[in-house]
Amino acid sequence: MKWFFRLTSYAVLILMFSVIVLIILPGVRYFFRPGFFTDFPRASMTEGGVFPSIFGSLILISLVFVIVIPVGLLGSIFIAEFSSKRLSVVLQSLAGTMNSIPSIVYGLFGLSFFCVNLGLRTSLISASLTLSTMAIPFFINSAVEFLRSVPKELREGVIALGANRFETTLMVIRSSKNGLLTTLMLTLGRAFSETAPILITGAVFYATKLPSKLTDPIMTLPTSIYAIIMNLGETARWMAQGMASMMTLVMIVIYSIVQILRRRTNG
Amino acid sequence: MDEVVFEIRDLCANYGTHRVLDHINVKIKSKKITAIMGPSGCGKSTFLRILNRLNDLIEDFSITGQILYKGQDIYKIKELNLYRRQVTMVFQRPNPFPMSIFDNVAYGLKIMGIKDKELVKQRVQEALKKAALWDEVKDKLKKPAVQLSGGQQQRLCIARALAIEPEVILLDEPTSALDPIATTKIERLLETLSEQYTVIIVTHSMGQALRISDELIFLYQGRLIEYGMTSDVVKAPNHEMTRQFLTGKIG
Repeated sequence: MKWFFRLTSYAVLILMFSVIVLIILPGVRYFFRPGFFTDFPRASMTEGGVFPSIFGSLILISLVFVIVIPVGLLGSIFIAEFSSKRLSVVLQSLAGTMNSIPSIVYGLFGLSFFCVNLGLRTSLISASLTLSTMAIPFFINSAVEFLRSVPKELREGVIALGANRFETTLMVIRSSKNGLLTTLMLTLGRAFSETAPILITGAVFYATKLPSKLTDPIMTLPTSIYAIIMNLGETARWMAQGMASMMTLVMIVIYSIVQILRRRTNG
Repeated sequence: MDEVVFEIRDLCANYGTHRVLDHINVKIKSKKITAIMGPSGCGKSTFLRILNRLNDLIEDFSITGQILYKGQDIYKIKELNLYRRQVTMVFQRPNPFPMSIFDNVAYGLKIMGIKDKELVKQRVQEALKKAALWDEVKDKLKKPAVQLSGGQQQRLCIARALAIEPEVILLDEPTSALDPIATTKIERLLETLSEQYTVIIVTHSMGQALRISDELIFLYQGRLIEYGMTSDVVKAPNHEMTRQFLTGKIG
């Protein structure tokens, strides 16, 4: 029986490893083409680099970061610390449901609400708001669990020293710091790799210049991969492979940080 | 005549419809160690938590009766954090905060708004000395408190309570998670502390109650069975139940 479990776990490991290797390896060599990280694409994406996509992804993630931290943190603190039992059940199931809605549906929502109703059009701001709408429930779902797992003794210990509600909450946040950071990293990782919501709310296939204001459209890594694969032939494929390797490497870095954070105690 | 710190009048406490304390009348004296004992579920922890008004946080918990702290009804106090600085509490499981040893002890002072660094330093040192922990930690004050042993952590929690200069220290089975050596240290410490502070300790260990307490309160199924000076109670328990508990037949 034991050999069976061992065999299956090895099989899974080999599968995962080969996926990673097969995605990363074919693209890595393009990193060394001159201008890959720094140039605009040229000649229908057959030459040049992917700089605008990198820039777009980074700026998008930064905006999501700026939106998710206050809203997500306040939301999860409210659910975990301040709301009544009944309300917290309702809010948590709401966040859970929102978390399982397919991302393309968020895209549609963003398209009709942010782009059309609010008149923000296909733009950086529409895309980051759409992505944040999706990322906030994801953040809240796991952050609430971390806040709740703070032992009762610690909470009461703070109160018994005469701390008020605010100071108690600060201590709870402090004690779940690593959990919250883990959650944040995972949320950003998800937002970084998500394609569908930005595809129809903020991304364009090709932009001649970098976005200079929030209402400009952007190029991002995942949407550029999609665009190349769907629209261009063999000659542009290398660029998609290069970006795919890059994204996978970024995700590996993010998950490594998450693993390190998980193993560290709050000190 | 000893000064009375707490006067409890006809206290009843309920979780929902379940009554956990039933018409308790008792006085707790200043600068003594009062041990509250009884078998599990007798309401002793609830009693202690009420004195810190910690059960306010629990939904569907209710009390009737009066608890007077130096003549003032504690359930009429508005500035609860000021009250809790006078009547503070140490818990069953050591609960160091996720910060350094120094910051743990300084925490109470920080939230009191004391900013004078020298004063904080001095009070932290005093508190650690009183809690008999100074010699063990003086060279590693910046280290995380979670690195200390269980017994050291509990003394740190006591030091943290002492730093805010309370009048009463409530302890809820402070040694039940500790080994005998650490327990002995804490018991010695409590005996010294009772010269300056009023100590109220919940314990289910009869041995501990007899070793350290001046006064004894014995609860059984939410009722006050026996109450008086420890030596008197041991010599001549008024109640059959107490006698059985003292001789190890129940509990």
